[in-house]
Amino acid sequence: MRLPLLALLAKEPAHGYELKARLEQTFGDAYPSPNIGQIYLTLQRLERAGLVKSQDVVQSDRPNKRVYELTPAGREAVVTWAEEPSDEPRVRDDFFMKLALGPMAGVTDALSLINRQRRHYLGLMRSLSRLAEEAPENNKIGRLLIEGAMLHLQADLDWLERCQEVLL
Amino acid sequence: MRAAVRWIRADLRARPGQAAAMVLVVAGVVTALLLSATLFEGAANPWRALFAQTNGADVWLRLQPGTNTRPLHRLIGVDQVAGPYQATSATVVRGPQTAPVQLWAMSPALPVIGRPLIREGRWLTAAQPRGVVLEASFAQAIHVTTGDTMNIDGLDGNEVHVVVLGIAYTSDQGSYPDQTPGLMWGLRGLVQAVEPVSRHTVELAGLRLADPSATEFAVQQTVTQLGSGAVISVSTWQDVERSVDGGDPLLGLLLALFGLVALGGALLAVGNAAGGRVLIQVQDLAMLKTLGFTPRQLLGMVVAEHAALGLAGEAAGIAAARFLTLPLMRQVPAGTLAAVAPLQAGWVAAVAGGVAAALLLATVLPGWRAGRIWPVAAVRPPAPGKRLSRLARAALLSHLPPAVVLGARAAFTRRLPAVLTIAGLALPTMMITIGIGFWATLDNVQRHPGEIGLAAALTVSPGELDRSQAVRLIDADKQVTAVYRVAAVSALLPGETSTITTLGAGTSPRPFPFHVAAGRLYHAAGEAVASQGLLEAVHITVGEYLRMPVGGVPVIFHVVGRIIEPEYGGQVLAYGLDTLTQAGAVAPPVSYSLVLRPGVTAAAATAHLLTLSHGKLDVAQTVDPAASLGIVRPMLAGLFAVLGLIGLTSLVTASAVGLRDHLRDVAALRAMGLTPAQVTASLLTRMAVLALIATAAGAAAGAALSARLIDLGGQVYGIGSGLGSSPSAAPVLLTAATAVTAAAAAALLPARRAARTPIAATLGP
Amino acid sequence: MILEPPLLRSVGLTKVFQTDAGPVHAVRGVDLWVGQGEFVAVMGPSGSGKSTLLHLLGGLEPPTSGEIWLDGKRADGLTQAKWAMLRRRHIGFVFQFFNLVSSMSVADNVEVAALVGGASRRQARERREELLEDLGLTAKAQAAPSQLSGGEQQRVAVARALAHRPSLLLTDEPTGNLDSANTSAVLRLLRRSHAKGQAILLVTHDARAASMADRVINLFDGMIVDDAAVRPVPVTAASSVLELRG
Repeated sequence: MRLPLLALLAKEPAHGYELKARLEQTFGDAYPSPNIGQIYLTLQRLERAGLVKSQDVVQSDRPNKRVYELTPAGREAVVTWAEEPSDEPRVRDDFFMKLALGPMAGVTDALSLINRQRRHYLGLMRSLSRLAEEAPENNKIGRLLIEGAMLHLQADLDWLERCQEVLL
Repeated sequence: MRAAVRWIRADLRARPGQAAAMVLVVAGVVTALLLSATLFEGAANPWRALFAQTNGADVWLRLQPGTNTRPLHRLIGVDQVAGPYQATSATVVRGPQTAPVQLWAMSPALPVIGRPLIREGRWLTAAQPRGVVLEASFAQAIHVTTGDTMNIDGLDGNEVHVVVLGIAYTSDQGSYPDQTPGLMWGLRGLVQAVEPVSRHTVELAGLRLADPSATEFAVQQTVTQLGSGAVISVSTWQDVERSVDGGDPLLGLLLALFGLVALGGALLAVGNAAGGRVLIQVQDLAMLKTLGFTPRQLLGMVVAEHAALGLAGEAAGIAAARFLTLPLMRQVPAGTLAAVAPLQAGWVAAVAGGVAAALLLATVLPGWRAGRIWPVAAVRPPAPGKRLSRLARAALLSHLPPAVVLGARAAFTRRLPAVLTIAGLALPTMMITIGIGFWATLDNVQRHPGEIGLAAALTVSPGELDRSQAVRLIDADKQVTAVYRVAAVSALLPGETSTITTLGAGTSPRPFPFHVAAGRLYHAAGEAVASQGLLEAVHITVGEYLRMPVGGVPVIFHVVGRIIEPEYGGQVLAYGLDTLTQAGAVAPPVSYSLVLRPGVTAAAATAHLLTLSHGKLDVAQTVDPAASLGIVRPMLAGLFAVLGLIGLTSLVTASAVGLRDHLRDVAALRAMGLTPAQVTASLLTRMAVLALIATAAGAAAGAALSARLIDLGGQVYGIGSGLGSSPSAAPVLLTAATAVTAAAAAALLPARRAARTPIAATLGP
Repeated sequence: MILEPPLLRSVGLTKVFQTDAGPVHAVRGVDLWVGQGEFVAVMGPSGSGKSTLLHLLGGLEPPTSGEIWLDGKRADGLTQAKWAMLRRRHIGFVFQFFNLVSSMSVADNVEVAALVGGASRRQARERREELLEDLGLTAKAQAAPSQLSGGEQQRVAVARALAHRPSLLLTDEPTGNLDSANTSAVLRLLRRSHAKGQAILLVTHDARAASMADRVINLFDGMIVDDAAVRPVPVTAASSVLELRG
């Protein structure tokens, strides 16, 4: 939750409900609707960490709302997050976040994201291959595990291709 | 190079059946063509074949006895001189029979020029000083064979008893009795015994020219050199050829036409077989390109492979033709001058060359095309057109079974091969149809000989009876329905130096029933009918006038009709006998042409008349060209078989090529839910559609052309048009049905196999 | 790093197909290079033009425009015959299907490649025996291709592609049609050749195959979108790759 919110704020400052609305808009019904309380909780933690700062905005006919915006540290956190390949097992969620929000945040473009992730996977595949070669013949469970990982990697790479097709 | 050889060897080993089939097709085609040529040569112009075989003389000179012939050797253009031979006129006496003969003095060694071709018996020998050899047509006319004896009476009354040693063919003169006197050879001693007075003999010398067409020049020189007083008469080879009973023009005509069309179809079959094979190999050839074979290498490889197969086929074909010629040679029909000899090298070379050229062309073209395709075709085969044609769409809408529609459409996915397949099947079909037409013509001719001018089966002369007796006898014979008086009178063709035969046949009020192809018969004195050859020779058409000296008297004829007359070399003029008497010409003695009652055979009537007249009547059967055509039917049957084989080859090739194309479609169709039976049906339909179109086209063309071809040939041969009959519907339909069934059968086995292989195996590559 | 001219180089390589539905730009201005002895993989979704690119680089079809440099010599625009000569020295192919000539035995298929490359009959035979033994297919030397399984056929195809010792091996989805055991066998073969110094350009879907390469080029819609070396990423114990799911 933290980084998606940071990424949204990287585009422009917003308050809690706006962030919720934007998340719902971006991810649609497939994504579980975020709890507004959790959002505010996360925002407060981010503020304590110095990644965002808040400001109260006076409204004439309504109670004051608190608007949050990124600090330079917060911006750097987003960039770092975008530029690092996501690691298993939450890759799909994490990477997908990046893909969905990164370009919007203006910190990166879809192609670079995809390429980076892909290179990472290939590197992983390389290591797995070597592991598979070195694994003793009789360690069937171990070999199966490696094979399973490789199959999943292939599936992820295929999905990357799909993302590329659709988004580019 | 090594790689190319490797591929050729592997390809032949991998598909030996196809390779063998190709060799067989080429061999079959070559054999058929060579046999046709052989028969054609022998039948159409047997005299020419004989002339070549006997090393005939281009010019024969009849000189005063004692003329010095040495100057002849020095004449310009003369290669060799034959003779001089002493010759005398005499009469052969055999029982009551007599016949005029010219006896030539020869040596026991066969002459180099004008060498007689022994048919039976042997040539002269010193051991038999009273032995003679007779010329074949003469021997036949006087019913003499080897071993018979007879007397020869000289002009001065000397009679010599001789024995017949043998019978031989010669090209020096025409057939007896068309050309009289008959020809006989004997030793010099015999000739002197018959005619001791050399003044009463003549000298014969023969010239062989460097340029056979320069006969006139040679004759002029002869007369100049020897003096016109020394030269009694001259005959050139052209004269002899013209006067010779031209073999069987009908037979020759049929064979020539057949051979010509056969050539086309044969070449196409060879082409299809070769081209089809190349098409099948295209995929592999493209793969070879990825290995580094250049297009030219591939072309050379493919051509080399097919050339090797073709060469093997040609060699086999030539050998087979030679082998088959031997029994044919023995089947020389009696009475005709047909000479079947092993083909001259020129013909063989022509046939071999033609077939080789067709083979090369058929291989080079697709090979070159395959060469031009970039190698990517090996991995991405160009898909044949995918659009559904309008016809197919219409067919689908009309609820025809889908298998049938798909099959029909599949027939045309590759346009050029489809066209070639159709042509490859249509041509044999057309030829078979034409052959059926020829067969029908033959039947017609035999049933209605009157249509080719043979209304009268017998020609009778009084023989030993006196004229009134003979006439009474003939009139009384109930087997005879009509009698016409006929006289043959020679006439000099205007502007030509040769003579033709004219016939006073019947009278103008009651003309001989010639078969008139154009115009009408003569009805009044002065009117005449002429044959095609004569009309062309004097450059007139029906309706015009012709002035010719006949029997020494110039007569003006009004040519009112064109007749078909297969004898007399196509040049004949016929008119009523009253025209002759009116013109004041002297008519030679007439003979009687008898029209028999239908159902009465010539042989039976002849026997009857001879019995009635105690053998004294001279009865001869009109030469019936159709008789010797008995050989044509089995020959046609044989040719049908070869044509069927050729057509079948085209079908099998088309089936194999098509299956390869559609294997993927088949798999897709089956995956879609078509049952194996439906898939088989679609593949069969494809072949059947091609076959149907081909046979329909071929049969239609054949039916249209058959009669016209015979007529055309008739014109060329001077017989005249109007001879041809069109083929009847039943056998043609039978042929078409057979072809379509064969097409389906050719596709059946591979189709069933394709339909039954597991789908997975056929999908993908 | 020793700077050597690349074995294969393309500049602005383009291929446009004219179809009934209009022109199709299969390859658009591709610049790539393969170094001596380098193993390069080309990945991309179907329709991205990878196969076409391979065909162009191997001279199997002519490009619409662009340059191809093979071993320092200009190769685009060569005639078929000249390309064929080039292939004899420089290029071996392994395709996904249709590799072997159906009318020749396995031995003949391999030897023909060597013969075309200029080997003598004896040399060709020896090379074939060596290659088939490496592949464990000596027993099938005289068999017809149709008698072999898909995996065996593909191994023979690799043998054939290497028979004439080409500078560059071009292969298009060599394992696309194979089961995993055969895939491993073929990949092992490729790896071994590469270890001996063979340059390889591999077009593939298979991530495992691609990961063996020195470099992976990514093609999308006829253009290169990524070109990077493969750096092995350590599979650490902390990484949840090996975590059991659930």
